[in-house]
Amino acid sequence: MTDSRIDFTAADHAAELARAGAHVTGWRGATLLLIRRYPLGAIGAVIFTLFVFAAVFADVVAPMDPLSTNSRASLAAPSATYLLGADFMGRDVFSRLVYGARISLAVGLGATALGCLFGILVGLLSGYLGGWIDLVVQRVIDIMQSLPLLVMALVMAASLGPSLRNTIIAIAIPLVPNVARVIRSNTLSLREMPFVEAARAVGMGELRIALRHVLPNTLAPIIVLATAQLGSTILTEASLSFLGLGVPEPHPSWGRMLSESAAEYVRTAPWLVIFPGVAISLIVFGTNLLGDAVRDILDPRQRS
Amino acid sequence: MGAYLVRRLALMVLTLFGMSVVIFVLLRIVPGNIADILFDSAGMVDPAEKARIVAELGLDQPIAAQYLKWIGGLFQGDLGYSYLSEKPTIEEIAPRIPITAKLALLALIFSTVIGVPLGVISAVRQNSGLDYVIRVLSLSGLSLPSFWLGLLILMAAVRYFGDIPIYTRTPASLWDELLLYSLPAAAVGFRSSALVMRLTRSSMLEVLRQDYIRTARSKGASAAAVNFNHGLRNAVLPVITIIGIEAAFLLGGLIVTETVFNIPGVARFLVEAIRWRDYPIVQNLVMFIALVVVVVNLIVDLLYSALDPRIRYAD
Amino acid sequence: MSSRLASIGAMLTAVALAAAAPALAQKSGGVLHVTHRDNPPSASIHEEATISTVMPFMSLYNNLVVFDPKTKQNSLDAIVPELATAWKWSEDGTQLTFTLRDGVKWHDGKPFTSADVKCTWDRIIGATEARFRKNPRKPWYFNLKEVTTNGDREVTFRLGRPQPSLLAMLAGAFSPVYPCHVPAAQMRTKPIGTGPFKFVEFKQNESMKVVRNPDYWKPGRPYLDAIEFTIIANRSTALLAFIAGKFDLTFTGEVTTPLLKDIKSQAPQAVCEMQPTNTQANLLVNRDKPPFDDARVRRAMGLAIDRKAFVDIVAEGNGDIGGAMLPPPQGIWGMPPDVLATVAGYAPDVEKSREEGRKIMAALGYGPDKPLKIKVSTRNIAAYRDPAVILIDHLKQVYIEGELEPLDTPVWYARMARKDYSVGMNVQGIGIDDPDVVFYETFSCGSERNYTNYCNPELEKLFDQQSVMTDQAKRRALVWEIDKRLQEDGARPVIFHGRAATCWQPAVKGINLAVNTIYNHWRFEDVWLDK
Repeated sequence: MTDSRIDFTAADHAAELARAGAHVTGWRGATLLLIRRYPLGAIGAVIFTLFVFAAVFADVVAPMDPLSTNSRASLAAPSATYLLGADFMGRDVFSRLVYGARISLAVGLGATALGCLFGILVGLLSGYLGGWIDLVVQRVIDIMQSLPLLVMALVMAASLGPSLRNTIIAIAIPLVPNVARVIRSNTLSLREMPFVEAARAVGMGELRIALRHVLPNTLAPIIVLATAQLGSTILTEASLSFLGLGVPEPHPSWGRMLSESAAEYVRTAPWLVIFPGVAISLIVFGTNLLGDAVRDILDPRQRS
Repeated sequence: MGAYLVRRLALMVLTLFGMSVVIFVLLRIVPGNIADILFDSAGMVDPAEKARIVAELGLDQPIAAQYLKWIGGLFQGDLGYSYLSEKPTIEEIAPRIPITAKLALLALIFSTVIGVPLGVISAVRQNSGLDYVIRVLSLSGLSLPSFWLGLLILMAAVRYFGDIPIYTRTPASLWDELLLYSLPAAAVGFRSSALVMRLTRSSMLEVLRQDYIRTARSKGASAAAVNFNHGLRNAVLPVITIIGIEAAFLLGGLIVTETVFNIPGVARFLVEAIRWRDYPIVQNLVMFIALVVVVVNLIVDLLYSALDPRIRYAD
Repeated sequence: MSSRLASIGAMLTAVALAAAAPALAQKSGGVLHVTHRDNPPSASIHEEATISTVMPFMSLYNNLVVFDPKTKQNSLDAIVPELATAWKWSEDGTQLTFTLRDGVKWHDGKPFTSADVKCTWDRIIGATEARFRKNPRKPWYFNLKEVTTNGDREVTFRLGRPQPSLLAMLAGAFSPVYPCHVPAAQMRTKPIGTGPFKFVEFKQNESMKVVRNPDYWKPGRPYLDAIEFTIIANRSTALLAFIAGKFDLTFTGEVTTPLLKDIKSQAPQAVCEMQPTNTQANLLVNRDKPPFDDARVRRAMGLAIDRKAFVDIVAEGNGDIGGAMLPPPQGIWGMPPDVLATVAGYAPDVEKSREEGRKIMAALGYGPDKPLKIKVSTRNIAAYRDPAVILIDHLKQVYIEGELEPLDTPVWYARMARKDYSVGMNVQGIGIDDPDVVFYETFSCGSERNYTNYCNPELEKLFDQQSVMTDQAKRRALVWEIDKRLQEDGARPVIFHGRAATCWQPAVKGINLAVNTIYNHWRFEDVWLDK
């Protein structure tokens, strides 16, 4: 990396991306450029894409039915048939991990999207409208932030009961205040910007201003925030499932796979503990790398 | 300053009050109550007996009345009785606090001792090979679930020492106690150290870009002296903030880690109390955690504003 | 000789040898360290029905009579005195009179009298204002009308009709005598008994401790100074600590087959015994809820089940197939193999049965493209969930597509009570290997534990008929008949009976497990440490 990178700004990126949109060759060029500039981010993107691929094409990728039990394969060690071994009930660990990617990504993307959506809405409203709404929202955010994320998610998950949908909700809700806070502060500064004043001067409605002018300008921090949260939502799901409050059996949730085997087979079948952990760590690692790169690209102030 | 403090304290009370309402309502949404749990061990539920227990515990009262009773008790220092053990809640919670506190403190020390120096090195040697290695390492730290890391540590302990530390309230020696706490503290602390490292690095970078550093450099001060005299000293402030945030963050990690290492601290106790629908324990424990978080935040903010003028002066 | 018989034979030989060998000089003293699997709900045995309470706290109490702790099989023929020195049935078999031991004191120094016995069972049958908060033993004593005393040293149990099994119920760990002067609530937190050990402390989710009762009425007992139970919820961790020598004894029935292999290789000196836990996995089918109100659907379901696969997977081959009663030779009342083979749905050729099941379902309009979709409800605990997952896998064979519905414990009980489920996977522990205990609680009309609402008045008459019988052989034949009809009716299809091991270090002496219960041999008065 050269020092010139320090002066590399978002504007350059924007130009690049615009070019990329215009020409196919430009696309390729931009991609190559990005890979060269952000090799770690590129690795993250590859890892993430692999997992998405596994999740989407789980039916094709997984050699076996992840739910089908087989008494003869109970605790089978890794082999040609059972790539990563089999669990207590003779279910193929590799196939379960592949299908598990669906759950991890569904929860990760679902909870992040849901949390961001509500966070944006709340942040935009409270930042743009201000007044008593802002005051109330601020207090609610204070309350929600007075508990660590996992504790909040834990209480939520217990209240809602164990299911895939409820796990997504339980993880999304504690995200809302984080997102709302960032959006609110962005909105606050944008509200006083000349172009907003101008829009107001030409008689544009407040709602339209908020949606047409303020929202698009908060997009960059939203994307940065969302990619940064993705890894942590996946981890939260794993932790909740590990504690038995997340996604229930027979869904092959990685966290759940870990907790069951951790209790029984740490010594007799260590692969049951190792592989799900590797899967969780790898996907979170990938999204974190990706998140860092996205932040560097979109938020040059924080660029490292 | 005085007015600010009063305002902050008022907001704190408001936040805690809000938390008490939220947790109380959430717990009442939870399907099933303690009466059902109590019957678990009996293998059946006799409706008449259940109704008696529900009445005995006051769960048949209107929710507002239950809430007022709890809050009223709180103000008189009466935290109620655990549904399960039938002992005063305070007797159940209090002895577990030092256990978790010790763990958290060790983990905090661990994460600071590792995270801050690495963060500084990484910032000073920005974009060097070393920087990359440290960054990847810290990112992997953020990616490893702490319960899994804990399990790996346990598995390694078994493989190489044929033994694992089992919690006892009265460890044989200080060494035993340190061993008992340091493994789980490392499991949680590793993840936190990654966070501390990242944030230290970025705040250090910020500081290094400031004009006065450039000035100092242009005056011919040695690079190392500038980095440490000016850079680190000014990066200390954000690091304090980070560590403050960390304290709350650690608590989340401790929930799973105490479970893995079978340590009877408050964090694991919370999960168990939720599972048992032991409302008095959950409510009071959650309030306690919220109190800790809010107070830590306040202390961090006060520290920040206390140190603020000196920084302006330095500017 | 089957391997099961062989293992029983080996066990009996071992016992015989131990008895024949000149008694080693027992040593007194030492603290026994035991792992515990989870947090006991309370210390009050009368209010709980779990081994989690029985194993750590049985040593605080005494019964009137007890299953002979030196035998391997709990039965009506092997009952010895404890707080009662003698007992006698009345001519008509409706009154059982006990003569009580002199000079027994409660741990708080108060004398033990007949009033305490009356008090305890009055609380169970609801004859007094002072109640237990929970009363799980109530269904056992439906036939007990009254307990009367005659002076301080005699007490009589008066029954509605003859019931020889009463003595078996009184001999189990679940029938300790409670002190009349201690309120029920205190028995949950700071219990007082007459037993060989006294309660010290119970730290929630952490540990339990009992110490030697120096005033124990049995001279020279107990040997141990104290027993400490440490709660370690994670089974691997617990067994690892055992292997590392930190504990003398594992929690009973917690060592599963794979874990047993591990212990055998890592700590070959450890003494381990594999025994039936008298816990059975059974199916709850809601016969009031369509389509399960149709006997054909229930039958097809029964035909899909491959019981051997369950035993192979869940119990790693260490389980038994049988009906409602624990199969012989460990169980006294279970159907022998030749009778079992005649029961529909227990045929060895599973593929053939499944073919028949598919035909039934096809006739009802289901098929591979149009499966019957159901929810299989179960408790969100591995012991329940594992068999449920296998069940779903098997049901696919007869065009039934099951979706697992894991329920938290409180929700599970609420749903069972409301009969709000279609198919449930249930695990049931049986405290005493006795037909009265099993039949009335589980299958009689209107019983609270009769989750499936199975109600067959004709069979109910047979329950009563076997209950009054004194001729054991005849009674056993009738019990087989009842069990067979229960299984064929699909009242609560039994999938398998579980087994697990208990291990202890070689220095621990005087432990004797029974083959047909995990509950009744934890008085700890004969246990000593050879250290």
